[in-house]
Amino acid sequence: MDHTVSKIMSKDYQMKAAINQKLIEMGERERLKELLRAKLVESGWKDQLKAHCKDVIREKGLEHVTVEDLVTEVTPKGRALVPDSVKKELLQRIRAFLAQHAAL
Amino acid sequence: MKMEEGSVSSLDNSKLEGMAQDILSELVEDACLGLCFEVHRAVKQGYFFLDDTDQESMRDFEIVDQPGLDVFGQVYNQWKNKECVCPNCSRSIAASRFAPHLEKCLGMGRNSSRIANRRIVTGNNTNNKSESDQEDNDDVNDNDWSYGAEKKGEHSQKSTVICLNNIFIQTFFHFYFVFVHLSSINK
Repeated sequence: MDHTVSKIMSKDYQMKAAINQKLIEMGERERLKELLRAKLVESGWKDQLKAHCKDVIREKGLEHVTVEDLVTEVTPKGRALVPDSVKKELLQRIRAFLAQHAAL
Repeated sequence: MKMEEGSVSSLDNSKLEGMAQDILSELVEDACLGLCFEVHRAVKQGYFFLDDTDQESMRDFEIVDQPGLDVFGQVYNQWKNKECVCPNCSRSIAASRFAPHLEKCLGMGRNSSRIANRRIVTGNNTNNKSESDQEDNDDVNDNDWSYGAEKKGEHSQKSTVICLNNIFIQTFFHFYFVFVHLSSINK
């Protein structure tokens, strides 16, 4: 219990929360989300993952599949399938944002 | 939210990098979740498997790319040069001219009555029917099937005569009304 409290009070955590808040307030998080989505579609990631979803659905049965099923099956694979180029580009933008706004 | 000055310098690059990675994985997770919700909705609404087609039906409906055929494989200019026999005058007419010929031949349709009227007017040059004058003014702008069958010179001559007549009549009426108006004021 104390661990959680001390975790929240730590400077790192507070800083992270502040940065996140800034990302949202300045609309940058939304822009990054859109950029990521576009890049993922472009690279075929979405189609790949959709095909994987089809397998999961056929396995679990069309009528009985739940959101949880899909999330547990699909998310780890999705994370792994993101191409490196996309990751690099997103990281560049995030780093640029941090460099500008983490100082303030 | 205030931070200590110089907090950046005290931050390692690795911490900043760690933060960037965290932010990235949050974004990726958002994308994955978004996809899951999209797919789940498609499954429950029944349109998820709609775009699956088998090879055979793909081949059945393939686009046709041959000369003389449209994309469905039908012949499209089959009736271009055929001739039809008019049931009224028993003449052989080309297919693309058949409809307007029928219009004139049977005396139905918009143009046929106007052309007939105009023929009457040019037949009696001294007789000025105001109805046919007005109708002919519309006729100039109204040409459903234009074949150039009516000679241009003849057409403009007729319409000029008719227009002039119209102007005379209008001027006459104008003066008449002004006269009546003035005389009623003087009373």
